[in-house]
Amino acid sequence: MIFEPAQIEISELGCERDDRLLFENLSMTLESGQILRVAGPNGAGKTTLLRTIAGLFEIQEGEIRVNRLPLKECLDQVLYIGHKPQVTRDLTVLDNLKFLTGADEARLKSALGDVGLKGYHDSLVKELSQGQGRRCALARLWCVEAPIWILDEPYTALDVEMVETLDAQITSHVNAGGICLFTTHQPPQQLDYQTLELGHVD
Amino acid sequence: MSIEKRMLARELKLIAARPGDIFKPMWFLMLVISMVPLALAPDSDLLAEIGSAMIWVATLLALLLNTEHLFQSDFSDGVLEQWLFLDRPLAWLVGLKLIAHWLFHVLPLILITPIAGLMLSVSTEVLFALLATLFVATPALTCFSGLGAALTLGSSRSGILGVLVMMPLFVPVVILAAGVLIRATDGSDTLPLMALLGAFSVVAATLVPIAVSAAIRLNIGGSN
Repeated sequence: MIFEPAQIEISELGCERDDRLLFENLSMTLESGQILRVAGPNGAGKTTLLRTIAGLFEIQEGEIRVNRLPLKECLDQVLYIGHKPQVTRDLTVLDNLKFLTGADEARLKSALGDVGLKGYHDSLVKELSQGQGRRCALARLWCVEAPIWILDEPYTALDVEMVETLDAQITSHVNAGGICLFTTHQPPQQLDYQTLELGHVD
Repeated sequence: MSIEKRMLARELKLIAARPGDIFKPMWFLMLVISMVPLALAPDSDLLAEIGSAMIWVATLLALLLNTEHLFQSDFSDGVLEQWLFLDRPLAWLVGLKLIAHWLFHVLPLILITPIAGLMLSVSTEVLFALLATLFVATPALTCFSGLGAALTLGSSRSGILGVLVMMPLFVPVVILAAGVLIRATDGSDTLPLMALLGAFSVVAATLVPIAVSAAIRLNIGGSN
């Protein structure tokens, strides 16, 4: 599928947490087809920035507009996968995805095939390994149609093969007109991305 | 499938996966009730007099027991924050969660109170009044303790704190219910007090989901 042209406009964004300035006067525009990697040392505010753009944190200073509308009105266009498990341990892989995505079963099963969880549909998440649990959370990238992807440490616990699959999926998402923001400490090899360095505020 | 159906289906599956969540409060209720006659002098008159009140308080405590962690596991798994991206207002989803909680976790408690009533030799009229007050009052109690649970999401080991915060809201409900039980024992008219209790539940069910959703947003905004 092809997305309508999308745009995220961040102007003069500033954030302070526990009396520490994480970033200020952050302005940039992200357009369809762009991949942005937010980099920086631990505690630099990467997660805070992503969660602010995902609408989970109140904006302290500045403004974020999606397609010229305030962020609050556009949350249905955002797919956010944080670094928490994002899945319920006591439910099966399929039930977790059914609740979160609302996609039909055939689509979910094909998504699970794409992330290498074929045959695990009815396994409880708590029976899976950490990497498999992560794959289950990431399977939403294969069955949700939201133009803006915000992924916090998506590569954690993934094996080499899955990292490649994920890179390919991100690439095909932005080729279809999507936008992807992510954080990671291991620069991905296969992606064509821009980098935003945080952690240089005095 | 609509979001509403997905929420209910998920609740049912969670219950199937964690049956203890339902049975533990029921055990607690029956345990308290079976201890009361043992702790009192075996005086059947006294038991009948305080029996209904004992059952009411034990049910309230059992309800608090199963509501204090209403949002906790979804919050720490990061599933709760995904609710913000679902195509419905958060307050509506919270309302659904509270309804599902009342149906699947609180209603079973109410349904076993007649057994507790028999154990404490509560008279039939009072037993009916007891059931009626529980039906009418527990929606409000569920809402209030859900709010306590949502307010204290961010703090670890928050159980008792949420209950303490909400205590002032439980008090009028308990007083009204006690009034109904006393009137039922006397054989006088219980309707005015029941109406007040019902009003309490209606107001709580309307306003509390909004407050809970604000509390959830606040706690999500303060966590990673």
